[in-house]
This record gives sequence, C-alpha cells and structure tokens, in this order.
Amino acid sequence: MSGRSESDRLKQETRLQRLVRRPEIGTFVVMVIIIVALAFFSSGKAYNALGLKNNIAIIAQYGIIATGAALLMISGEFDLSIGSMIGFAGMSMAMMLKWGLPFGLGEATPITAFIFTMAMTLALGWLIGTIVVRSGLSSFIVTLAFLFFLRGATEVAYRYINKSTQISGLPDYKQNSWFAEMMGGEVFGWFYDVWFMLGGNLNRRGEQWVTGFDARFLWWIIIAAAAYFILSRTRIGNWIFATGDNKESARANGVPVNAVKVGLFMFTAFCATMFAACQVFDTNTSDAAKGNLMELYAIAIAVVGGTLMTGGFGSVLGVAFGAVTVGLVANAVFFIPQIDGSWFRVFLGGILLAAVFANERIRKRITGGI
Amino acid sequence: MADQPFLRCEKLVKRFGPFTALGGVDLDVYSGEVHALLGDNGAGKSTLIKTLAGVHAPTEGQIYIEGAPVTFRTPRDASNAGIGTVYQDLAVNPLMSVTRNFFMGRELTNSFGVLNMKQMDEITHDEMLKIGIDISDPSQAVGTMSGGQRQTLAIARAIHFGAKVLILDEPTSALGQKQQMEVLKTMMRVRARGDIAIIFITHNEIHSKLVADRMTFLALGQVIGSGTKAELEGEDIRRLMAGGAEMADLEQELAAI
Ligand SMILES: Nc1ncnc2c1ncn2[C@@H]1O[C@H](COP(=O)(O)OP(=O)(O)O)[C@@H](O)[C@H]1O
Ligand SMILES: [Mg+2]
Repeated sequence: MSGRSESDRLKQETRLQRLVRRPEIGTFVVMVIIIVALAFFSSGKAYNALGLKNNIAIIAQYGIIATGAALLMISGEFDLSIGSMIGFAGMSMAMMLKWGLPFGLGEATPITAFIFTMAMTLALGWLIGTIVVRSGLSSFIVTLAFLFFLRGATEVAYRYINKSTQISGLPDYKQNSWFAEMMGGEVFGWFYDVWFMLGGNLNRRGEQWVTGFDARFLWWIIIAAAAYFILSRTRIGNWIFATGDNKESARANGVPVNAVKVGLFMFTAFCATMFAACQVFDTNTSDAAKGNLMELYAIAIAVVGGTLMTGGFGSVLGVAFGAVTVGLVANAVFFIPQIDGSWFRVFLGGILLAAVFANERIRKRITGGI
Repeated sequence: MADQPFLRCEKLVKRFGPFTALGGVDLDVYSGEVHALLGDNGAGKSTLIKTLAGVHAPTEGQIYIEGAPVTFRTPRDASNAGIGTVYQDLAVNPLMSVTRNFFMGRELTNSFGVLNMKQMDEITHDEMLKIGIDISDPSQAVGTMSGGQRQTLAIARAIHFGAKVLILDEPTSALGQKQQMEVLKTMMRVRARGDIAIIFITHNEIHSKLVADRMTFLALGQVIGSGTKAELEGEDIRRLMAGGAEMADLEQELAAI
C-alpha cells in the first residue's frame, strides 16, 4: 500500500493523447482522406465554385437528418420513419400550396403551409414516441410500421387529392416570400462574391458563376450547433446520455426518461420536416418518393460519426464529419464520371462496418472492457 | 447517539396478493449507527427496504421519521424525507463521467438550463474525497471505476442530496475481498459523521459483526431477533443467521443425507 491510492492508477494524459483518444478522431481522419482523394481524382473539379455548392447541398441534407437520428440513438432509440416523414412533409407543404389549407382555411402561403405541416409532423413524432415509451415495444418495429404507414398515406393523399403522385410547376415563392427564401434560397453569398473578387468563380463568359450556397447549409449549421450545445452543455443533454446509457438508473435518479425519448422522436420529425421544406422551396416541386431510404442513411451516418447503436454515447461533431464523408462519396460520381455510382453504397457499407467495430472498441475502452 | 430513533417502523405488513412478504416488522434505526439487516434469501429484506424507500406502499403498519408518522407515495417522497437508497445495481451509468453520474437528474445549471460543469466537478471531487476516494479526474467514465468506487459514488451522491438514512442493499456481495473492505471503511466514515443512519443489508456475518451497532434478523417475513451487538452473542448470531435453526440440528440433517 504505502500511500498509494486508486486515483494514482489513472494515467495523466497530455493534450495530444487526449485529442487522439477523442471518439471523433477516426471519422475525422476518414473525412480528410476522402476530401483529399476527391480533390485528386476529380482534378479539383469537386471543389470548384459549383462543385463545392453541390457537395455542401447533399452534405447538409445528410447532416440535418443524421443529427436528429444521432441524438435519438444516444437516448437508446431508432427512427426508421425519417425518410417517409420527409416524403409526408414535402407532400403536405406542396399540396397545401397547390390546393389550399385544410379545413377550408383558404389559400396557403409558404409560412402557413410550413406551420401546418410542422404541427402535423411534430404530432406524429409525439405519437410515435408515446407509442414506444408506453408500449415498451422496440422502436425498430414501431417506426418500421410508421415507415410504411406514412409512405402509403403520402401516396394515397397525392392520388386522392392531386390525381398524380407528384407536384411540379408551383410558382417560385422565393421571389415574394422571405420565408421561402429562408428555406430554399441562397446563403453565404459573400463567400462567392469574395471568391469572384479574388478572380475565381467565373463562368465561360467571364461573369460571376455561383452566387451562394443552398439555404440548407445554414440550417444544418444551426441544427448541428444547437444539438452540440444541448447535448454537451445542458441538463437536457445529461438526461439524453443518461436515458440511453441505463434507462432504469436514470429513472431512479429522477430523469424524465419518457419525456426525453418522446421529445427526441419529435426532434427527428422536426429535422425531417426541415429537410423537406428546404427541398420544396428550393425546387418548387415535390413527389411521393422523396426521402426514400433517408432513414437508413441517417442512421448509417450517425454510426459512422461514432454514435453507439446501444445508446448512451455519441458526438454531434463526429456526425458532422460523417455527413461530410458520406456526402462527398455520394456525389463523387458526378466529378469522376468513369466510376460506377454504385461504388458509393459499397463504400458506405464498408465504412459502416468499420465504424461499428471502432465504436465497439471505444465503448469497451470507456467502460473498461465490460 | 440520539435516544429517539430517526426512523421507526411499527408492525409493517406487506402482502402481494395472498402472499405475506412482511408479517408485522418492527425496526428502530438511530442516527450515527449502522443497523445490519440480516436474513436468508426470500426473508423479506428487499421488500422491507423497498417499503421504506417508497417503492411499495405497506399493506398495514406505520413508518415514523423523528417520531412523526409519514406516508410515501413515490420514491421521490421518501428521498425528500431523507431516505437515500443505494440498490444492488447502484443506479450508475457506466458510459457517463463521474460528475455527470453524481448529478444525474439533479444537475446544477444557470437559469437557462446550461450546466455549471466546473462547480459540479468540484463538488463531486470534494464529496468523494470526504468519504475516502480521491478521484483525480471527475470527467473519467464511471465504467473505468472499480466496483467499490462505484459503490462509494452512489453513497456520496445519496448523502450529498440529503440522505439521513442510507439504505445499502448488499453493498459488498458483488465485490472482491479488498473492495469489500473499502466499502466497509466508507460506511464507517459515514457513521463517524454522526448524523446519518445506515441500514446495511448483508449475508455476511463477519461484515455485520465488523461494522454494525445493531442487528435485526428476518426470517419468512418476520423479525426473529434483534438487538445491539453487545446484546447478541456469537452463537446467537449464528443461529439467527441460519433462520433460527440450531447448528447442531443442521449438522445432524447434513449427516443424515
Ligand atoms: N412484487 C412482488 N410480488 C410478489 N411476491 C414478491 C414480490 N417481491 C417480493 N416477493 C416475494 O417476497 C419474498 C421476500 O422477497 P425479498 O424481499 O426479495 O427477499 P430478500 O431480499 O430477503 O431475499 C419472496 O418470497 C419474494 O418472492
Ligand atoms: Mg434481496
């Protein structure tokens, strides 16, 4: 014994050691490799003015829903209804814009269509969450039911009201509505202006080529930053971790575990609705297949970003790195035409598997190998 | 030592349908004392402490705190009345840090719900140190701590949040020899404060003799013996541990097989 205590057995680490042991580090390294590889194989085209915009567009889409999926997974649940919720929300907004608000409330504006839709999707998120916590059933099966239910309801609603499963040719609301502009317009125009002033960002005629990023870039940043802050700095964040780590002990210590879970199911519904709103007001179209498979991409990116399948652990920053990685690879085919686009899914499957093993190692390390 | 028990049960009965888990149990628990609760599996120890902790409502009988009758509808009621229970599974979360576990469900925040992490780290460190564990890094995950340290965390947490009666459900049973001693030491440090009563549930006769001031033996839902350590002699304890059977009888039974 002689004056030694338990605490002496925990090695003090340097800053660098701590950095290397951060759970995001693996995803970060993969992201850097992909960024560099894409620059190399596309001869820089992936990051010219338009390439950057298009890449960020898909990264932001993935990022928005993966953030929601990750927080929910940290609390110990899954949501397989995200993709169908995107389709449902897009249908709801486009349909209201074309055919008017429900209950004979007259013409819809972008903002009223959005509010009505958000109210419905949040209510659906609440319903899904409530069914999961009340029944004690696995969220996998409950949300699988909603995956089918919502997709089917979306198609039926389209055919019944609209006679066709797509809506196109809506007016460009961005011209007159600040709200539509906020969802589907452009942001960070200064970035491309500066680029132009510095002599880049030119089209064939020598004019400024690209004028801004898609608005969803800003929404992704806002949602991810809020999620990061809430998870790491607030009481609710502590409750989310506690709920996913060990529900019973969280409950025994007064954490409202059911409210946490229901709230996070509503958050994934919120993210799906933001995804859909950005899409609808960007393209002024919508169709019944929108958001297909997105729930699986969201979960895959959350896992690639270091979120534990079993809950209790995860990092919003890692998920952002994961979204960048997966988004770039998904788009790679546009910049490197000679590769087959299906390699994307081969790659995604590969890093998903690698990530699951890496996450398991991290979990073992944190829990001392139990 | 106070002359009035801090916690007192009178003729507690708990029935689950036709099954009588507790058949009229009396118990007096004094501040500054360790009260060992002993008995075989199924004797009703867990049922008794769950009744004290507000998990079960008693079918009959009354609980008093400092002489005043109390009724607990929820575990929260009991915890607000100063009854802190550390269950066998300890209710800690292995993936979360020591501090985050310590304040789980009772986080310190500013008025916007933002955590005061620094203050929580300090309190956690100080409270753990008070009962004998110097954790160098409160952000270390609980999963990396030993079983004894986790037990200490759960105890320190209960005390910090106002426990006047600390109920420990078999705190030593899942631990190795050395860690068992750590937990016993922790209990003695809490006892030395003088203002906290400890109910110590155990199977281990030696442990109870080492730390207990008073003992109560349960068998088949009833108290078959109780008293201070001085009142109960060695042979007595052994007989009571065996649920009231004489050692000699047990030896004969075994020999007959
Ligand atoms: N919720 C319950 N419903 C029915 N019977 C129970 C319940 N809880 C405990 N019992 C019974 O009460 C008896 C005492 O159990 P318990 O208090 O757990 O004993 P101990 O902790 O002393 O081993 C056991 O026979 C057990 O089966
Ligand atoms: Mg028991």
